Amino acid sequence: MRNYEIMFIVNPNAQDEEIDKINGQIETIITSGGGKIDKIEKMGKRRLAYEVDRQREGHYVLFVMSANGEIIKECERRLRVMDAVIKYITVRVDEEARRMDKIKNYRQKRAARRGSHASAAAGGQSTEEAMQ
Amino acid sequence: MKSPSSREKRPAGQKQYYRRKKVCKFCVERIDSINYKDVKLLSQFVPERAKIMPRRISGVCSQHQRQLNDAIKKARNIALLPFTTE
Repeated sequence: MRNYEIMFIVNPNAQDEEIDKINGQIETIITSGGGKIDKIEKMGKRRLAYEVDRQREGHYVLFVMSANGEIIKECERRLRVMDAVIKYITVRVDEEARRMDKIKNYRQKRAARRGSHASAAAGGQSTEEAMQ
Repeated sequence: MKSPSSREKRPAGQKQYYRRKKVCKFCVERIDSINYKDVKLLSQFVPERAKIMPRRISGVCSQHQRQLNDAIKKARNIALLPFTTE
């Protein structure tokens, strides 16, 4: 299982219920395929940076989930077929998240090491940092 | 004590160029991940013509410039940022 983000733009003339319907369809694809949804975010109506399908605005929707390639393939196929969806993008996020963890760990370790150096002067506070 | 102070008091005609050392915004502010959804941040690096600002001007370090590049291109793909200005 990998973590992905799918962002898509729905036609600005679409009603709220229509967006919910699309969200529901995508949701069922993911859950029925064995994936897990972490977040569904309706980012609201935004101006597009350029014209897409003769539209200058669009409703942005963001899905964050853990899924596999099959599910993503099916989602993208469905999004392509839907008339109301004018653009979509899928981004894999787990590699980035892993990199972030690494940096965070490194920082913490460094901070702990620095803390232990200072402990000669400062006292017991650094041991708490080292424990974390 | 004449000689060190004379350096501060420069004669008027003599121009001296001081270029402030540029620093990478992402290193300084400890921004680790450059996300394509963060339009406010990314738009600082796409000037008027919507081109990506070169490193020699923005001072961004090479690692972050690469991440920035990817993020801007993703953002363009989903119409958060323009490819060109019309």
